[in-house]
Amino acid sequence: MFSCFKGLNAFLYQIGLGLVLLAIALNASSDVLHLGNDGEPSTLDPHRYNLRLEETLLNDLFMGLTTFTAAGQIAPGAAESWTQSEDGKTWTFKLRTDGRWSDGEPVTASDFVYSMRRLLTPSTAASLAYFLYMIENAEAINRGELPPEALGVTAEDPLTLRIRLAYPYPYLLERLLYPTAFPVPRHVIERVGKAWTKAEHWVSNGAYKLAEWRPQAYVEMVANPFFHAPAPIKTVRHHALASEQSGYNRFRSGELAAIPSFPASELTNMQQDRPKELRLAPLLSIMYLVFNTQKPPFHDPRVRKALGLVIQQQTITQRVLRNGSQPSLSITPSLIRDYQPVPLPHADLSQANRVGKARDLLAQAGYNQDHPLRVTLKHVNSLEGKKINLAIAAMWRQLGVETTLAQSELRAHFADLRQGSFEVAWAGWVGENNPEHYLSLLRSDIGNVNYGRYRNSAFDDRMAAARRQADATSRGELLRQAEQIMVADYPVVPLYMLASRRLVNASLQGWQDNVRNMHQSRYLFWSDAP
Amino acid sequence: MMMAVTLLAIITLVFGMLRLAPGGPFDGERDLPPEIEANLKAAYHLDEPIVSQYFRYLGNLIQGDLGPSFRHQDFRVNELIAAGLPTSALLGTLSLLLALSLGLSLGVFGGMNPGSTLDNALMGFANLSIAAPTIITAPLMVLVFSIFLSWFPAGGDGGLMHYILPSMALALPFAGAIARLVRAGVIECRLEPYIVTARAKGLPERRIVYRHILPIAILPVLSFLGPMAAALLTGSIVIEQVFDLPGIGRYFVQAALNRDYTLVMGMVLVYSTLIVLFNFLVDLAYAWLDPRLKGA
Repeated sequence: MFSCFKGLNAFLYQIGLGLVLLAIALNASSDVLHLGNDGEPSTLDPHRYNLRLEETLLNDLFMGLTTFTAAGQIAPGAAESWTQSEDGKTWTFKLRTDGRWSDGEPVTASDFVYSMRRLLTPSTAASLAYFLYMIENAEAINRGELPPEALGVTAEDPLTLRIRLAYPYPYLLERLLYPTAFPVPRHVIERVGKAWTKAEHWVSNGAYKLAEWRPQAYVEMVANPFFHAPAPIKTVRHHALASEQSGYNRFRSGELAAIPSFPASELTNMQQDRPKELRLAPLLSIMYLVFNTQKPPFHDPRVRKALGLVIQQQTITQRVLRNGSQPSLSITPSLIRDYQPVPLPHADLSQANRVGKARDLLAQAGYNQDHPLRVTLKHVNSLEGKKINLAIAAMWRQLGVETTLAQSELRAHFADLRQGSFEVAWAGWVGENNPEHYLSLLRSDIGNVNYGRYRNSAFDDRMAAARRQADATSRGELLRQAEQIMVADYPVVPLYMLASRRLVNASLQGWQDNVRNMHQSRYLFWSDAP
Repeated sequence: MMMAVTLLAIITLVFGMLRLAPGGPFDGERDLPPEIEANLKAAYHLDEPIVSQYFRYLGNLIQGDLGPSFRHQDFRVNELIAAGLPTSALLGTLSLLLALSLGLSLGVFGGMNPGSTLDNALMGFANLSIAAPTIITAPLMVLVFSIFLSWFPAGGDGGLMHYILPSMALALPFAGAIARLVRAGVIECRLEPYIVTARAKGLPERRIVYRHILPIAILPVLSFLGPMAAALLTGSIVIEQVFDLPGIGRYFVQAALNRDYTLVMGMVLVYSTLIVLFNFLVDLAYAWLDPRLKGA
């Protein structure tokens, strides 16, 4: 019996050894960078994209007028320089003289004119077309009220592009980083139509071009031979991961060189075991609670303030979530460049004072032990969502508030929020590096993305004044005034800013953490040491 | 004919149920301006009345076109299923073979030696493999065989090696179930008079097992095999999720969550066609194995 097992062991060992050798042989034969991506892209058409995981791929495939460095800073892309008119409404871009499509054709200003018109043409059905609504006539074109030719984008000569805006927009260079502003190959689209996103027809102007796309498996790209700065790594395969866990497994078994996230429960392990590979970085984002300000009793600012006062952001991030998220007391993330966010008015109060004050406010609003406030708190049905919900319900319980928890699937949750069918709900926003992007969520004319239907004309006035201001500093000052007015009303309670948690192979160089949490493969290279 | 009617009923039912589900294919975390939502709906004909949408779908279906996917915008549903089905089918075939060979050998052995120590051990193993859900065993196998031992890849599709762990994980509970069914059948059959007769005639044991016992003992497995084969071949949601396999199993859940109407319809069609087909094949196999059913 014993010897039988010994034989079996040796046999299994040999199989194992054989497989290991086979795996090594397979790996050595290919010079492919294997990266994990958050899932399957919906499209590789930059004008139809919608998701961050698509943005990752499109950043490798295309080059907009501006681009970003490995550290996430804005840098010249297809344009080598630009100027802005005095009133901030006309921008002139000089394109690179050596800009080429991956089939060798030159990239011209009229390619950009064609592309931006295409984005805004109603039949393109671009869900993010509003990203470029600041361009003259863009919104009317997208509504079908004006022809695409009316767009304020013109080619002065093959290498000069002029963009006229409907109103001053100092954040234009940042907005141009998004794939909605990427050029698409007119000469291919006019020939093959919708099939242009298939690998056999693919032409793009970025560091890489599409080689193969296997749905649910991977998107493989190879270096664009005509790109002005050849990428060190010639072939990149972005694997569509089904879950955080499978990506984490495949990273640990050495199949993937980098993954976009891993289960939060493994964070402590990674901090101990793989500190060199762990990339924990704050992310430009804000998670918050929103009150339905049209629905009693939440139309009463005293009730909103009382509930906001007793929420302990620090406890939520440090004790409940423990996933690297940072507490936030302002709706504008503190990571935003050149802006000083306005925290909630109670930020300086001690915990005991906050509870006392909250009790007083609730009493004034007519709620006490005999007549307790009843709240339904809505959240997306995730593990994290449930944890936060329970923590917040416990914080409110000390005021005698009775909380009912309600969870629904992501889409249904946001559909409810837009329709205003909620009392208090969790919401989140991952966005741009400017305060206006976040504060706009509370403008009364912004539509149903102002989930709580918050309305304050003083706030709206300052926001509108800011929109007319071309100078970034004075614009920032007006935005700060608007934020000051808004926080006193407690339409929302900021909770925390997300953190990105990635794992990156220690030998993969050129990877820099940044608040955009976006990375381009062309900056990556393998270090010589094995 | 019967099959076509069944399928039409299924299509109509699913089509109606999908439209009743809250939310739509273009709902996301961000809100769409109304004009953009209108543009999107027009592009997918969702602005038409539901009845004309239904007939448009049926019309395309008759021409073999399952329509464009809402979520996977650069692919048609036909392309998605064509790309994913081979993966799911390979995984399913391997698991089916594994489950059958393992289940049959364990079942016959146990049935011929009921009550022996090895039988008890094997049946314990069979029960355990049925009881342990794949959502537990699959990650465990990854941990042991991919991460600690590095024998097999942890996920993705890069050739046959990538299918070994997933098909083992998928086959185990089926193998256990088959083993139990076969064992019970063999035990029951072993004492039948015609077996006693065969033995009395001096037939070799091997011939008795393969020619006389197995064809009858396997009948309960057969009725189980139809739905099982359909389930295995159309992919396993759990296994494809754990091992990152690009099959069609994952579409079942994802497409429903994304309200990807056309993809859900396509998946339901593939699945129900296979079920109807396999049940038919099982009926044929019954008649072939048990001559008594031929007249029926």
